[in-house]
Amino acid sequence: MRVEEAVLPGVGHKFTVYTARGDRVVIVIHQTGPREVYFYRDDEDEPAAELELTDEEAREIGAILAGVIYHPEVVGDARTRVKELVLEWVKVEPGHPCARRRLEDWLAQAPGVHVLGVLREDQALYPNPPADLVLEVGDVLIVAGSRTAVDRFKEAGC
Amino acid sequence: MAFALAAAALALAAALAARLRFPALPFYLLAGLLASPWLDPGALEPLPTLGLMLLLFSVGLEFGPDRLSELSKKAIRAGAVDALALFLGAALGLLFGLDLKSAVLFGGVVYISSSAVIAKLIAELHRAAAPESEVVLGVLVFEDLLIALVLALFGGHGGAFGVAASALLVLGFLLAARFLAPRLAALLERVGDEPMLLFGTAFTVGTAVLFHLLGSSEGVGAFLAGVVAAGLGLRDRIERLFFPVRDLAAALFFLAVGAGAVRLLGANAGLALGLALLAVGLKLPLDYLAGRAAGLSHRRGLLAAFYLVPRGEFNLVLGALALAEGQALVAQVAVLLVLFSVPLGALLFRYGPEWTRRR
Repeated sequence: MRVEEAVLPGVGHKFTVYTARGDRVVIVIHQTGPREVYFYRDDEDEPAAELELTDEEAREIGAILAGVIYHPEVVGDARTRVKELVLEWVKVEPGHPCARRRLEDWLAQAPGVHVLGVLREDQALYPNPPADLVLEVGDVLIVAGSRTAVDRFKEAGC
Repeated sequence: MAFALAAAALALAAALAARLRFPALPFYLLAGLLASPWLDPGALEPLPTLGLMLLLFSVGLEFGPDRLSELSKKAIRAGAVDALALFLGAALGLLFGLDLKSAVLFGGVVYISSSAVIAKLIAELHRAAAPESEVVLGVLVFEDLLIALVLALFGGHGGAFGVAASALLVLGFLLAARFLAPRLAALLERVGDEPMLLFGTAFTVGTAVLFHLLGSSEGVGAFLAGVVAAGLGLRDRIERLFFPVRDLAAALFFLAVGAGAVRLLGANAGLALGLALLAVGLKLPLDYLAGRAAGLSHRRGLLAAFYLVPRGEFNLVLGALALAEGQALVAQVAVLLVLFSVPLGALLFRYGPEWTRRR
């Protein structure tokens, strides 16, 4: 696989991905947000398929392609998946029952989960956050554990 | 009153353009032409001028140290071939008996394509993925840089003093951007969107006025303000904040150009039209060669030449300068060129790929 990046001044960025099969995928990210995706079969000059996406759609599709929602078992990916362990970023959304509560209250609901760090807006990462850290809306928790434990953690209230 | 009429004309033009699935800019020009008996472009001021300044500002925004280093070798080769148009145009001007300064301005009118119009057309017509678009946009960066130099050297009305003062000012701005950038950028991070928009407008217009007062071209000032803003790492934010304002003001600007063009169609119209046609005729083959020099195929080279047809913001700056020099003919050529190259370019853009397929 080869990826080429080019700047299109006044328009945006263009990425050309050459796949193992010999096809070409051209992705244009406009500076105003929309994406255009073109699929060229083999060496053809005209795209066999084209796709126009809003910023939101592109992010959703990107996340699906990246395996954030479902990750195939057969593919081992060291970055997000170490054997049976998963690593996930969990955001404290407004109205979340654990907002303004201590971290330990949340952890008590979902044993088997480790919080490796907390990202708080405008502040440095809290590595190894203490159990009595009071969470705020907008915090992002970096959570590790088994798939089931992490899922349980995401659904748990305080 | 004039503004209400103008806004209504623009809205109609934009709706018609959307209905025909055609870029809107040529329709703005035509709406201006049609509305000219009832519309006094002077009554719309200062909005059209603000539109021009913001257009030049957004062109400058595409520069900055990062962009220049990103210019590929291909684009530089193509840009060099394309730049021959400037010299050929200036030589033509001298042949017609213009003095050096006016001849260079005429060369600029022949040479410069509109990066604002072309980038908009490429985005609207979904041509961004095509190989020729990459070359065309690279060539445009090259053109804008060269024409900014020409304007800085020949655009002043203050003689040698103006040139020296604007050169010093350019240097001062770039140095200030270079050394104050980290601290200023951190400060501006904390500024909200609305003050940011107002600061930016004041900065752009203020720089333009400063350059004008020093006897240089205000266009260079607005352009430089964009370069400085890009150097501060504000490109993405400014694009998001400014582009809606710019699009409205620029639409009014093109409308005013259309409405004001009628005045210029009087004397020597035939000659001016001939020269404008010559300018397009001179640049098409040069840009085809430029495309080939950048490694494009025959068909893609043709398309690159088509894409580079539209003229716009810088032509009108050059035309206004020539008019101040008493060269009404150069100004006429500049305005006529914008008037017909934008619709012609939009047509070539729209149908070019179909026409050039399998010949």
